[in-house]
Amino acid sequence: MFLEIKDLSVKIENKNILNGLNLNINKGEVHAIMGPNGCGKSTLANVLAGKEDYEILNGKINFKDNDLFDLNIEERAQEGMFLAFQYPVEIPGVNITPFLHSAINSKRKRMNEEEIDNLSFAKLLKSKASDLDINIDMLKRSVNTGFSGGEKKRYEILQMSILNPDLAILDETDSGLDIDALKIVTEGVNRLKTKNNSFLIITHYQKLLDYIKPDHVHVMVNGSIVKSGGSEIAAEIEKDGFQKFQ
Amino acid sequence: MNIQDNYQKNKKNIFFSGNKDIQSHREKLINIFETDRFDRKNNESLKNINLKKFIEFKYKYLVPEETSVINNNQDNSYSIVSVNGQCSSFKDDKIEITKILDEDYNDFSKNNTIEKNDHFVNLNSLFLNSGFKIVIKKNNNIKIKISNIVTDDNLTIFQKNNYICEEGSSLSLIEEYENKNNSTSNILNVINLENNSKLNHFLIQDNSSNHNLIITSHSSCKKDSTYTQKVYNFSEGYVRNFHYSELIEINSEADLQGIFFLKDNNTSNNKTFVKHLAEDCKSNQVYKGILNDRAKATYFSNTYVNQVAQKTEGYQLSKGILLSDNASYFSKPELKIYADDVKCSHGSTIGPIDENAVFYLRSRGMSKIAATKILISSFINEELSSINDDLMSETIQKKLVRYLSKVK
Repeated sequence: MFLEIKDLSVKIENKNILNGLNLNINKGEVHAIMGPNGCGKSTLANVLAGKEDYEILNGKINFKDNDLFDLNIEERAQEGMFLAFQYPVEIPGVNITPFLHSAINSKRKRMNEEEIDNLSFAKLLKSKASDLDINIDMLKRSVNTGFSGGEKKRYEILQMSILNPDLAILDETDSGLDIDALKIVTEGVNRLKTKNNSFLIITHYQKLLDYIKPDHVHVMVNGSIVKSGGSEIAAEIEKDGFQKFQ
Repeated sequence: MNIQDNYQKNKKNIFFSGNKDIQSHREKLINIFETDRFDRKNNESLKNINLKKFIEFKYKYLVPEETSVINNNQDNSYSIVSVNGQCSSFKDDKIEITKILDEDYNDFSKNNTIEKNDHFVNLNSLFLNSGFKIVIKKNNNIKIKISNIVTDDNLTIFQKNNYICEEGSSLSLIEEYENKNNSTSNILNVINLENNSKLNHFLIQDNSSNHNLIITSHSSCKKDSTYTQKVYNFSEGYVRNFHYSELIEINSEADLQGIFFLKDNNTSNNKTFVKHLAEDCKSNQVYKGILNDRAKATYFSNTYVNQVAQKTEGYQLSKGILLSDNASYFSKPELKIYADDVKCSHGSTIGPIDENAVFYLRSRGMSKIAATKILISSFINEELSSINDDLMSETIQKKLVRYLSKVK
């Protein structure tokens, strides 16, 4: 099993958010989690990425034969986990290009691979940015600073395509995107899909799943998965909403 | 030893002790020390300091054997080594350097902007033992680098300097303070900018923990002149940077910037006071601090806009990053506006490093320590990237790397 979440319960500030959540993802699979506001979708994404604000009450997570809780935030990233943030953080003064260069090399170092030099990295970045219709001038700017909502999301996908993760978690990547940007972003994701990597897509709407076809769709309510199935569940939610699952 | 005894004992070594007017001024200053109740709550010059250490000091001064001024005609630059606050006299067609004179002292003592209850300034006047005057002649564009050296342990340097930029002149002044001995430098700089002149003043402070540096400066800007001060404080010892600025004629400008990097038990006190006294003047004050361990800092920022100073633009900003729960940074911005057509603002943000930003960077594979360091660098990136002198930029970067190497 690539990612195995067993009976996960999590709380923050005395409020239980995840309650005995179970989820298994195999290599090469695309999973979508849909759920109403506040059901714990983003908490799951943050817990997987290692955010330290949460208290783990119970459960276990295995990722690529590692106990995930034994790995800190950066070790998880270096092991191939990537979170595309719902609200990417603006970091004025940190230039995109050296930041991404340093990020890719930290991963390569852990994998005992040779570090990528400046020139090769510049070529890689330029080509990936072009795929996502990102202007080269944007790469001279600070991380997420002064970006529109759509630009931020596109930049998250650019980072993902550079870091080429084994498991990518997309936390409401479709929010704030117009239809053209949604197409560009989803094409970027589809381009990355191989039989060796997996995706966990968190969304409210079926629209995103029209472009990225999931193998499994899960409905999450009150911190647990209450129903799992195929794409038909997304259509059902689009038609009737989440109420019947609550 | 009390101030009176200390003064009487060392009087013969103090500048202008034969001048009756100056002596009478000094008697008044002694009286202030003897009657003042040292109101720590309201006197900004007393915050966070061990006053006893500075008042009950043992006076010791050595007249330097050698100082130097080197002139490089090719690029209009001058290198000055100021030793124990003194500098050799020098004159060419662009600048003139002399010792300060009685009349300069009188100009200092008549200055009404520098606060009368500032005990460090009063100590400076009382025990004055060094200082120089530099005049940049009309329409010249030059660069001066001053290395301020203190030669021995336990020296007490009380120094007054006077900089005059004549009409149409432009000066880039880089001052370095990198002293390793157990001594105190108490310096008062008075800077006069004539019409259409410009002074870019950089102060790089990197003293060891046993060296105390107290700098008080006052700039006065006439029509179309600009004073820019940029302070980079990496010192491990106590540093005080107080600057008073007066915009006395139309279209003059003061741009004050300070960055301090503190750790261990170190303290830094900072103050800026800008007086807008004419129309169409601009001021900008930006002070940023990074504080680790049990370090403490204060920043008092004042902008006063006189009723005649219409079309004033006056901005104040202070920001601080606290890297430890035990570090503290007290910032107090104040605006006093008596004109009605002005654009003024002030802001202050102090807190720990942004944990969301740390998480974001770590989620891309960067270690916690690397993320913290990159965020500290980014916090001051704007100020550092505005340094347009390559050598100085490299110097500051090296000192920043040294500071960051101690951040755990």
